[in-house]
Amino acid sequence: MTKRIPLIAHNLKRLYTGFLIAAVLLFFVCSYLTNFNIMTLFANGDAFWEFITEDFLPPALPKSSRIPGILSSVLVTLALAVSATTVAAVLAFFVSLFGSEKVSPFPKAAKFVRGFATFLRNIPALVWAFILFSSLGIGTGVGFVALCITSFAFMVRAFVETMEDVSQDCVESLQAVGATFPQRVAQAILPSCLSGFLSWFLYCVELNIRASTIVGMVGGGGVGLTLFSYIKGFQYDIALSIILLIAVMVIVVDRITSKLRKELLK
Amino acid sequence: MTLNSNEAAIRLGWRPAKIKRAARIPVKCRQRNRFIPIFLITVAILSVLSLFYLEIDWAKMASRLPDVGIVFWDLAHLDFSNMDLVSSSLIETVSIAVLSLLYSLVLGIVFGMLAARNVFRVPVLSVITQSFFTFLRAVPTPVWVLLMLVCLGMGPEAGVAGLCVHTTAFFTKSFAQSFESIPDETIEALEATGANRLSIFINAILPAALPQIVAWAGMRLETNFSECAILGMVGTGGIGYVISNSLQGYDYGTAGVAILLVFLVAYCIERVFVRIKKKFS
Amino acid sequence: MEPILKFDRVSKHYPNGVHALKEISFELTEGEFVSVIGPSGSGKSTLLRAVNRLIPISGGTVWLDGQPVSRQRGKKLREQRRKVGMIFQNYNLVYSLSVVQNVLHGRLGYMGGIKGIFGLYSEADKRDALDLLKELGLEEFSYNRAADLSGGQKQRVGIARAVMQNPKLLLCDEPIASLDPSSAKTIMGLLHDMAQKRNIACIVNLHQLDVALTYSTRIIGLSQGEIVFDGPPAQLDDAMIEKIYGTARENLMIGGTANDEKDTADCA
Repeated sequence: MTKRIPLIAHNLKRLYTGFLIAAVLLFFVCSYLTNFNIMTLFANGDAFWEFITEDFLPPALPKSSRIPGILSSVLVTLALAVSATTVAAVLAFFVSLFGSEKVSPFPKAAKFVRGFATFLRNIPALVWAFILFSSLGIGTGVGFVALCITSFAFMVRAFVETMEDVSQDCVESLQAVGATFPQRVAQAILPSCLSGFLSWFLYCVELNIRASTIVGMVGGGGVGLTLFSYIKGFQYDIALSIILLIAVMVIVVDRITSKLRKELLK
Repeated sequence: MTLNSNEAAIRLGWRPAKIKRAARIPVKCRQRNRFIPIFLITVAILSVLSLFYLEIDWAKMASRLPDVGIVFWDLAHLDFSNMDLVSSSLIETVSIAVLSLLYSLVLGIVFGMLAARNVFRVPVLSVITQSFFTFLRAVPTPVWVLLMLVCLGMGPEAGVAGLCVHTTAFFTKSFAQSFESIPDETIEALEATGANRLSIFINAILPAALPQIVAWAGMRLETNFSECAILGMVGTGGIGYVISNSLQGYDYGTAGVAILLVFLVAYCIERVFVRIKKKFS
Repeated sequence: MEPILKFDRVSKHYPNGVHALKEISFELTEGEFVSVIGPSGSGKSTLLRAVNRLIPISGGTVWLDGQPVSRQRGKKLREQRRKVGMIFQNYNLVYSLSVVQNVLHGRLGYMGGIKGIFGLYSEADKRDALDLLKELGLEEFSYNRAADLSGGQKQRVGIARAVMQNPKLLLCDEPIASLDPSSAKTIMGLLHDMAQKRNIACIVNLHQLDVALTYSTRIIGLSQGEIVFDGPPAQLDDAMIEKIYGTARENLMIGGTANDEKDTADCA
């Protein structure tokens, strides 16, 4: 009985074992590098609990004179997310037409378009916001542009993938017919991919609701800034109410988008 | 013949040859999704209204546009003199991202098990778990990190704990989904052998969902890294702090290096993840 | 008679090193119904796509209607392409549009500017499209989404779209490969009749040897990018078939329609 009887295929087992070892190794290396010790969390348990029960709970309402301002800041966050996503989506549609070798009239440039989008996408929205703050100054406009940049790049990638999945065949057939590039776009790509595009658009709106809250925190305005100022002012009970408000806003938007998505894909 | 009666004629199956002299022949589908145009128009109107509501001072922004070029030009002059600070904070950021991912992975499997409707078959438990984590998920990560900073003070603990909240919530929902995608008949068959719930979960449901779990984890690592990179900007350490600090201190060269590194790491994670996904599918 | 299509020592290398066509030359005149046969990877699909330059060729010249299509670009190329109708294995319809809209896509090559983009077809074109659908027995589905049709019906829409172009030449890329035997027979019959009636030359890529023998006036056998046979079906003997496919005729007949070997096997 020197050899145990294997239960799963050899290569699969090697793959899983590899993952497990990598995970354990990473765990120890990272713990060492950051001096992170989960016990400190438990050691601080008392303070933690005290903070939650005394400073945080129960949620308190701010002064009634502040409430309209807070509600309008929620509206700013929503408006920021919707308008930035729409502008980004329109731009992304036109750019993504040049991002797929199979669709673009200049196949050789497609790689560069995608590379550019990858570059924009892999730098977080907040970093863009900071870069722009240092040149354009703090304000809602900068938040708008920063959100636009990342969601534009995200949608270029998503749109290119949708187009390659869905419309490659019919693009070829319209090419054989002798249709021009704008005709191919309007008659083949748009009708077959529109619902896919819109579904990505809705997903991006969801992401941007969260992102616009964050961008707001560092100076883009909206409910993020309001929350930030209450936390900085040690008014944690009011901050909790605003956190609840943000949660409600996000959940409602998620519900609406999932309803809309179902309706669109019918 | 009016347009309406013409349409009606076609609906009734009239021969196209007989309506040669009719007004116009329609070409579109009879049953098409009428919702899409309504949706498009609504979105367009909402966006325009939003833009007005935001009251962005476009003229001022346009006038400062040349500054953007200057900033990018300055960023492109990479300055490697602070490389030790940049690299150590980058390592810290990556470590926090990985640690929070690993802790959340374990927590996510446990809570996912509770949230999945087909593991313990206690609907109340699933509903409570799911709604609790829906709330946690709805609040953006930096908010949690800010709160953790208040509780735990500066340091990696706040970062890991804050990231864990959102990541665990995300994993709970997606793992529960993966667990629930396993057909009830399979579980029934195992129940028939007399196995208890926990052993069914560990021996059948978990292994079956493993490829999906790996896929979710890879996807989340990407998000966690970029979240982690921005956390510094709201107050914890790491690469984000270096970026925001050097931007505010007009040290564009160092900021450029840091941003470039953030991009490179994010790009590498994305590539590796694409590879892994191909291997598993 | 002036040939419609002329391949003059055409070759094609793919970037991955595959040599799909090796100095191929042949001519095609009006009214011919040519089947191109050969094993997978012998260059059939490349040959077809070289005709309307969906794939750019690496050497030689393709003459279409007296003009060198392999050297044309832009507007000239589109004008050439609209002379050539194409039918695909996977139908390649725009499934979210109506059947009539798909048929009318055949007119896009003749339309310019805004009208083509927004699909504002002339009444005459629409009438032609509806007549064509009637001829193909699809009139009742004219306003259905193309996605709702069966495979055979989709391919009929594909044929209608190609004929709508008023082509001088039809290219059919394995038109029946995704169909069941009975629909396949209908489609081949329709294709043959339409082409005969309108005097359109046809090039059909086929995997089914028996179908090729039934309908063609001429057969071209391709093997590893070279023409190894070019002549009427009657001249295609067993030795030739073995040369094209690299295996004996009996081995090709598994699952084919109406062949003796299979019948005896069923009885045994």
